[in-house]
Amino acid sequence: MSTVSLGKGGAAAAAHGEVLVSARGLEVHFPVRSGGPLRRTTGVLRAVDGVDLDVYRGETLGLVGESGCGKSTLGNALLRLVPPTGGTVTFDGIDVTALGRKQLRELRRRAGMVFQDPFASLDPRRTVAQTVSEPLEVHGLHPGRQARAARVQELLQLVGLDPAVATRYPHEFSGGQRQRVGIARALAGEPDFLVCDEAIASLDVSIQAQVLNLLRRLQRQLGLTLLFISHDLSAVRHIADRIAVMYLGRVVEVGPAAAVAAGPQMPYTRALLSAVPVPHPELERSRQRIVLRGDVPSPSRVPSGCRFRTRCPDVFEPCPDVDPALQPVGSAPGHVAACHLHGVVGEPVRREQPDSPVDAGDPAARPVA
Amino acid sequence: MTGQPVPQTAPSPDATEAGVRSTQRPPRPRWRETLGLLARNPTAAVAATVLLLIVLMAVFDETLAPAGPNEISVEDRLQAPSWEHPFGTDDLGRDILSRVILGAGVSLRVGFLAVAFALVVGALIGLLAGFYGRWVDDVLMRFMDILFAFPAVLLAIAVLAVRGPGAGNTALAIGIVYIPVFARVTRASVLGVREEVYVRASRSVGASDLRLLTRHVLPNAAPPIIVQTSISLAFAVLAEAALSFLGLGTQPPNPSWGLMLAEGRGFIDIAWWLAFFPGMAIFLTVLCFNLLGDGLRDVLDPRQRTLMAGGGR
Amino acid sequence: MTATAAGEPLLEVEDLRVRLRTPRGPASVVNGLSYSVRRGETVAVVGESGSGKSVSVLALLGLLPARVATVTGAARLDGEDLLGMSPERLRQVRGPGVGMVFQDPMTSLNPVLTIGRQLVEGIRAHGEVSKAEARERAAGLLTEVGLPDPERALDRYPHELSGGMRQRVVIAIALSNSPSLLIADEATTALDVTVQAQILDLVEKLRTDHGTGVIWITHDLGVVAGIADRVLVMYGGRCVEDGTVDDVLERPAHPYTRGLLGALPDLATADEGELATIPGTPPAPTDLPTGCVFWPRCPVRGDARCETEQPPLQVVGAGVTKGLPHRAATWCGEGGAR
Repeated sequence: MSTVSLGKGGAAAAAHGEVLVSARGLEVHFPVRSGGPLRRTTGVLRAVDGVDLDVYRGETLGLVGESGCGKSTLGNALLRLVPPTGGTVTFDGIDVTALGRKQLRELRRRAGMVFQDPFASLDPRRTVAQTVSEPLEVHGLHPGRQARAARVQELLQLVGLDPAVATRYPHEFSGGQRQRVGIARALAGEPDFLVCDEAIASLDVSIQAQVLNLLRRLQRQLGLTLLFISHDLSAVRHIADRIAVMYLGRVVEVGPAAAVAAGPQMPYTRALLSAVPVPHPELERSRQRIVLRGDVPSPSRVPSGCRFRTRCPDVFEPCPDVDPALQPVGSAPGHVAACHLHGVVGEPVRREQPDSPVDAGDPAARPVA
Repeated sequence: MTGQPVPQTAPSPDATEAGVRSTQRPPRPRWRETLGLLARNPTAAVAATVLLLIVLMAVFDETLAPAGPNEISVEDRLQAPSWEHPFGTDDLGRDILSRVILGAGVSLRVGFLAVAFALVVGALIGLLAGFYGRWVDDVLMRFMDILFAFPAVLLAIAVLAVRGPGAGNTALAIGIVYIPVFARVTRASVLGVREEVYVRASRSVGASDLRLLTRHVLPNAAPPIIVQTSISLAFAVLAEAALSFLGLGTQPPNPSWGLMLAEGRGFIDIAWWLAFFPGMAIFLTVLCFNLLGDGLRDVLDPRQRTLMAGGGR
Repeated sequence: MTATAAGEPLLEVEDLRVRLRTPRGPASVVNGLSYSVRRGETVAVVGESGSGKSVSVLALLGLLPARVATVTGAARLDGEDLLGMSPERLRQVRGPGVGMVFQDPMTSLNPVLTIGRQLVEGIRAHGEVSKAEARERAAGLLTEVGLPDPERALDRYPHELSGGMRQRVVIAIALSNSPSLLIADEATTALDVTVQAQILDLVEKLRTDHGTGVIWITHDLGVVAGIADRVLVMYGGRCVEDGTVDDVLERPAHPYTRGLLGALPDLATADEGELATIPGTPPAPTDLPTGCVFWPRCPVRGDARCETEQPPLQVVGAGVTKGLPHRAATWCGEGGAR
């Protein structure tokens, strides 16, 4: 596990102020069960596997990574919508993993979530008003029918919808409008923290821009702290103050958005950025893409040492043997990456059979119990 | 019939960002939408109408029946259908039309009671098993499997043997037999709804389990349960007839379609109408419940609704 | 990239119109679309949901249910009329002549058959080949699409492969009969960018090696910039702008194309301002505006003509590049001026 503290007392903390949400050694492991009536546990799927991450109050942190890297599970685990199996999460200084029933409900009010698919995230049998006022009813906010209705109107206006649509059902709306309803619901409890899980991924291009602008406006207007989870690096670059990159259950690089986008320090981030197509034919033709070998290993068979080593173009000798920790890289303050190219830092891999040969190409080198 | 797209307006400086303006239109409740769709399905609409007539007949049986159910008239024994007795008379000279009308109440009451009982208990079990999963699911559904493994008639006979015959006990017996059916249908439906994003979304704003179950899971899991209710009513009417036929259900001289069928059996060679008319009544009722069930299945199918509503992308 | 504009026409589409019967009334999904694809050329069809980009292609191949769809116009593949073709002939043409790749690979693969079986069936359906030969060719195809360990992959089931690998299998199936035309409908939309990069490289190789004509349907202008020779921008079932990829993306003439490009966040530049947006949402095909289809959302709409008269596709800007005209259907800014 990494022991490098992220920015605490460093320049980044000074620049960003107080930490609102913090994960240390966070793990979400799922048992892999065999089929059949016995449902024996045959392995462990390491969706999130030792994540250290701080989210500063009032910032927008972009979390990028490819499908299956665990970014969505991480977002859910921070809000305890998925129970962590190891490590800690603190929210405003409170240990989220040890909350009682009442405190958990207060967390639900203070931390909201916007989901990917606006066609699935709204109950088709409930009107916009019923959906948006649910958090109000759950937390006993704005008691009274009239006060609640007024608050719903206010929220709809806040997200750019005509308050008169409150009586409509979701199927009457387009994707972008539904996503606004989803945002209004997430904001109803006046949260401090909002997790946007691929919130623009299923929208049309021209609508994505509308929603991105809305989220940014709301973040500034309401002083929200935003965790913007997306596979779309351009969108993340646009909206985020800092970017965190995830690969196979681990955060492998974090830094100021400009620094990460312009000077990625970890080979995976470099490959990821180079693969993003930009709408300029001249640039596209001249650009050298770093095409990665093979596929992402399964999270139930995580390679030993650096988990990117099976696909890394710069793999060298310490990679299979030392699990790299996040260390300061580049020139920007607060820019950290987990890569031995910047010096071999991290925990040596402990092997059960020291005489077994280490095969750098074998993704199953680290046995999973 | 259903929702029109939200009208778009030309952008003006003060227009909302999403370009949404609304017309003042009252919300349309889902059940009215469902009724509207059902009306467009001719088979189901006819079935529903016939069932409504049968129910009305059962409610106003005393008024409608030309004679009392047990008015014996020895000189009118075993008369073929005529203007005076449209369905004929039985071996005791009782008017069969009157007995069919009055029997509707008995048959339907037992059917409704049985299904209501099975629905409440079965749906509750299925809801809990499907929503909580794990050991709750294992325990409840294994119990249902055991109940389901008993031959239905045997189970009903056993219940009646313990509690004695009679309409109430017949309903209870049939109800117990159908509990696992409702539990399974409900569980399967809940398993699907439980994973919906809107359920997770509701949890993410702090909704309690009770709220999730009553506001989101049950309403969205309801369509297959409603269909099952309609189809089970058909089976329950049939089961009541079968049990009465075996002498375990409704006791003579009360009229019940199944009992009348049993009593008419002995005269099938010389007076076909004794068994024919109650048999037709059972047939028609069961057929209509089944057709209505099929119609509801189509109407409540979310894909169908989406298509009609023009929703989706 | 070689200059391919001089290639002979492979597919020619003229005044294609598709009307669908929907519960909410007739929908004009495609309204007079004309374009051509030459051998070895990649034409990108760009548009948002409901723009008619997918339907226009399904219509060409007779894949729309005749019960609800009315297709008019003309389409010729290698000189042979597609729209008037008998269903049997169409099936013969579709297999060896046209390969298709859709967004979700799982919908194109049969989950209960091995990859090998599906490939072999495709190969044998359109040619006299022995099973062993077909299997050999299948393995060769999988190698070509960059699937690691193709021999083993042949005996796998679709669910045992990752999304990227599945899509490569679908592409291999689409290519199994060396089609002259490859149609990809949002083929990389569900894939990660690194996998997308691999697939785009593969398609580029096919085009240069085999002279395959490609229709690439997408909403992603970044992908278009990398892969296309020509671009056709669709909106409300009409082509609102077409031309070479450089003309359309670097010198967009239609306000919609401009809006679309402006709405994209740029990875390269730190841009602190708001993104330009197109207000409102795309029109429903059941309820298209009269006049210019884009006028209700247009930021620069001018006189009443926009609302009443439909603008034709006219040559704009620099005019003709590499023998290809740059055209746009708009009343505003004759010659591409704002």
